[in-house]
Amino acid sequence: MQILLIEDDDRVAQHIAKGLRELGHYVEHCSDGRDGLAKACSEQFDAIILDRMLPGLDGLSILAEIRGSGDVTPVLLLSALGEVDERVKGLKAGANDYLPKPFALSELIARIEILGRRTPIQAEQTRLQIADLELDLLGLLAQRGGKPLDLTAREFRILEYLVRNAGRVVTRSLLLESVWDYNFDPQTNIIDQHVSRLRQKVDRDFPVPLIHTVRGSGYVLRAPA
Amino acid sequence: MTIFRSLSFRLALAYMALFTASLAVLAGATWWMTIHQPLQAAQAVVDREAAELATIYIADGGEVLSTELERRAAALSDRKPFHAFIDSSGATASANLPTWPAAQTNGLIRLEADIYRDGDEEDHEALVRDRVFDDGARLLVGRDIEDIDGREEVLAGTVGWIVGLSLILSMLGGYLMSQVIGKRLESVASTARLVIDGDLSGRVPVRGSGDDFDRLSITLNVMLDRIQKLVGSVQRVSDNVAHELRTPLTRLQANLDELEQASDAERSDVIERVQADAQHLQTMFDALLRIARIDSGRHALATKPVALAPLLRDLAELYTPAAEAGGLAIVTDLASTATVNGDRDLIFQAVSNLLDNALKFTGAGGSVSLTLEERSGEAVIQVSDTGVGVDADSLARLTERFYRAPGAEHIEGSGLGLSLVAAIAEAHAGRLVLGSERGMTVSWYLPAA
Repeated sequence: MQILLIEDDDRVAQHIAKGLRELGHYVEHCSDGRDGLAKACSEQFDAIILDRMLPGLDGLSILAEIRGSGDVTPVLLLSALGEVDERVKGLKAGANDYLPKPFALSELIARIEILGRRTPIQAEQTRLQIADLELDLLGLLAQRGGKPLDLTAREFRILEYLVRNAGRVVTRSLLLESVWDYNFDPQTNIIDQHVSRLRQKVDRDFPVPLIHTVRGSGYVLRAPA
Repeated sequence: MTIFRSLSFRLALAYMALFTASLAVLAGATWWMTIHQPLQAAQAVVDREAAELATIYIADGGEVLSTELERRAAALSDRKPFHAFIDSSGATASANLPTWPAAQTNGLIRLEADIYRDGDEEDHEALVRDRVFDDGARLLVGRDIEDIDGREEVLAGTVGWIVGLSLILSMLGGYLMSQVIGKRLESVASTARLVIDGDLSGRVPVRGSGDDFDRLSITLNVMLDRIQKLVGSVQRVSDNVAHELRTPLTRLQANLDELEQASDAERSDVIERVQADAQHLQTMFDALLRIARIDSGRHALATKPVALAPLLRDLAELYTPAAEAGGLAIVTDLASTATVNGDRDLIFQAVSNLLDNALKFTGAGGSVSLTLEERSGEAVIQVSDTGVGVDADSLARLTERFYRAPGAEHIEGSGLGLSLVAAIAEAHAGRLVLGSERGMTVSWYLPAA
């Protein structure tokens, strides 16, 4: 992926760039708001990581410029302002995702990978399939190896999200944000219980598991090699 | 010098001046009534008589005048009449004044007119009109004013030491007054100095007399109570922050030390623990900041009508797997259609904290209930559990930041969950009622939309 990183803190920028480059992504770094905007407008990127507070021109203004020019490149906004109302402001301004500082690098990578490969929503797509797992998005039915899985509506949505992002790490907070339509901080890892129930239903009766735990980060759904 | 600027000194001075002035008025009035007025009356009598007698002399001559003067002298009267008539030849025709000045004055004079009777001296003072006629004859007509003169002497003699004594007394009174006021002001000031020096437990003494100073002292003490309470809670929070930081930081330090020595196989394990430590610290600070922002009104609420039942159903569903994993049941009664104006994310957060607590403090086999009701214009969200509950003392302190009820120290948590709930409840103009009869019950009353 071609990623533009606009971040004024060199230490943080190096950390992010290193992590992404290790995974084979190309990272272009700008530490000034105006340079960053110029770069964003002149070149094509798969995703932009944008700091909220920047010298020169602040993150929200850059975002407004980018979106104003009709550019729909996915933008992940970073901010030390971890408050809910700041998040809402960022998303309203056109950011696709918002990550408060400090963050774990694994969380940022998980989010940027999901953003960068976001497939355009296809209205006619009513079925998802990976290995022997099939999802009927209209009937909210899931089956594996031809056997129907008895899932609750919520479990179906978790599974759908995992399937849509198959092969990529999905963090707990990503799941919470996309499957539950509330923005809040759970005190404990309540998501784990949901995923573990889902795993029971999806993987228990099959020799090859599809859902895997990624230590310290979250989950990944992977087709067996 | 400060004493001249002090209120009590100036009060004492003013007190002295007023006292002296009132004394002067009193003395003046006494003089007016007992001396001036009688003297005026006596003078009027003397003037009238002198004029009448002069008329007799001019009309009828010395003989008639002398007879008239003798007759007048013999008459009984309050004020003894005095006279002396010296005819034109210079001989004394008639006189009962013992002496008179040789020099003619043609005016009003006061004379000593002591009378010797049976060897005793009788003091008399006479107010006399001295008249000299064209022919050289001289007539002195007067009346006794010994009583007035006596009073004059008494007054002159006493005013001096009365004024002196009064000045001393008023000075003494002023000094005592300034001492009393100064002392009571000083007691306020010394309490203030105690507080300035950091001892917030200092209180202004109250005498119980209910006077102005007592009322001031009571007001000041109420103010000090309030300040002490506020400072106490701020202090507790910062003490707690420092204390709460110690534990995760120590753990972080230990894990980092371990990381240094860890074999490659152990490394990822330890790193994960370090990350968890960092995460814990971050969560704690986020929660603190959030509470502070909501408390101070800096967090803008995204207020919209929120139907509570669907939101609470989502919450129950979110927590059910965790509850069941712990051998607990979540029981709901969410039939109410109550709607409130509020921030749905924050309401979700608050109730999520309540459920989280309820699950944490209830053992396997217990249950947690989540109910919604609408009662007289208020939506009531209630989370109750069949857990151990808390005692009354702890109940009152549960929403304090970092407060952990005795016995709950080993249970994972930041001690900030209920503080955040309280802040959110307040931001929504709601009230939180905590109860603990069997287990714990938290009722959140919100104004219905």
